[in-house]
Amino acid sequence: MANLTIDGQVVGFEPGQTIMEAATAAGIYIPHLCHKPGYTPHGSCKLCSVKVNGRVCSACTFPAADGQQVISQSAELQQDRRHITQLLFVEGNHFCPSCEKTGQCQLQAVAYELKMHDNHFPQFYPQRALDASHPDIVLDHNRCIFCNLCVRASREKDGKNVFGISGRGIHKHLIVNSESGLLKDTQLTVDDAAAHVCPTGAILIRNTAYHVPIGQRLFDHQPISEVSLEHDHGQ
Amino acid sequence: MGGPSGTFITVEESHRLLAYEDLATGGSFIVFNNSRSIFQIVKNFTDFFAHESCGFCTPCRVGTSLLQKQLDKIVLGHGSAGDVVELERIAGLLRQYSHCGLGQTAANPVLTTLERYPELYQQQLKKISYEPGFDLDAALQVARQMAGRNDAAAHLQQVEE
Repeated sequence: MANLTIDGQVVGFEPGQTIMEAATAAGIYIPHLCHKPGYTPHGSCKLCSVKVNGRVCSACTFPAADGQQVISQSAELQQDRRHITQLLFVEGNHFCPSCEKTGQCQLQAVAYELKMHDNHFPQFYPQRALDASHPDIVLDHNRCIFCNLCVRASREKDGKNVFGISGRGIHKHLIVNSESGLLKDTQLTVDDAAAHVCPTGAILIRNTAYHVPIGQRLFDHQPISEVSLEHDHGQ
Repeated sequence: MGGPSGTFITVEESHRLLAYEDLATGGSFIVFNNSRSIFQIVKNFTDFFAHESCGFCTPCRVGTSLLQKQLDKIVLGHGSAGDVVELERIAGLLRQYSHCGLGQTAANPVLTTLERYPELYQQQLKKISYEPGFDLDAALQVARQMAGRNDAAAHLQQVEE
C-alpha cells in the first residue's frame, strides 16, 4: 500500500483514490460541500482546497500519490475556507433562522465547523425565484450553491436528467429541464436521489419540514466533521 | 504586459525583459500615456473579468464580482481605512483558490497596481475610520421625489410625528 501524509499523519491509500477518499478512509475530515461519496467528483466549491507539496489543489478531485505531503488544517487554509463559505452565503439568500433546513443543512454546518460568525462580505441580495409547482417537492433558488449534486444525482442515480446548470459567472443558475422550466412538468418524484441530495435548503420535500424538531436535528448535537466521517466512511 | 491578466509596470521598469523569467507575455502589451487614469484602466480590466468568469468555482464566480464592487467603492470615493486591505483579501482568495488561470490572474490588475501605486489607493480613501458601503442621500432620492420633499431632515420629522 502506498502512503501520503496529511498534516503529518501517515495515511495509506489504494491506487486510483483521491486525497479526499484517502483522508475519509483514515478518519480525517476535510471540509466539503460539492463532494459526496458515490458521485463523480466535481471540484467546484473549493472548500476542500488543501496544499499538496506546497500547491493548492482540490482534495476531492486530486489523485493521491505516494509520498505526497498534504496540509489541510493550517490556520491559513481554515481561514480561507471560512472566507469561501462566506462567499457562498453573500452570493445567495441564506437566512438560517427562517429556513426549514436549519440543523440539517450542510452549508450551515460547515459554517459552524469553520467558526464563521458573520458574512463578512457585502450581501448581493439577488432576486431569485421559488418553484412551488410540484405537489411534493419545493425548489427555492435563493438557497442554491451550484454544487451540482442534484444535477449529478438525477443523471447518474435516477436516470432522469431533471436538473441542469445554465448561465455564466455570477449569473449562473440551476435550471429545470422541462419545456415550462417548472418542476411539475418533470419526472422528478420524492423517491429520487435528486430530491434528497441537496446540501442546503434549495430542494425540500413538502410536508416534512418540522417532523424532526429543532434541537433534535442532525447537526444540533454533532459537528459535521463527525457526521460526515460516519456517513462517508468506507464508501 | 501580457494583457488584462498580465503585469502592470511603470516607466521606471522599462529595463525589464520580455521573457518567461521576467515579464511573461503571450505577445500582448499595451502602452498607456499619462493622460490615462490608472483607476479607469484597473476598473475596465476588473469589470472584464467579472463578465468573463464562467461561474464554475466559488472563488472566481463570487470573487470577481466582489472585487469589482470593492474597487468601485474605493474609486468612487466611498472607501475608508481598511478597504484596501479588504481589496487585497478578495484578490488573494481569487489568486489562490480559483479553479483555472482566468480566476487565478483576474486580480492581477488590482494587485500589480497596488504594488506600484499604493499611495494612489490610499489617497482615494476617506479620512474616517468607517464609511458605509452606500450613499444614504442617493438611496433616498427616489423616495424624496415621490414624497415631494427634498430636505435632508425629512425622514427625521416623520419619526417625530
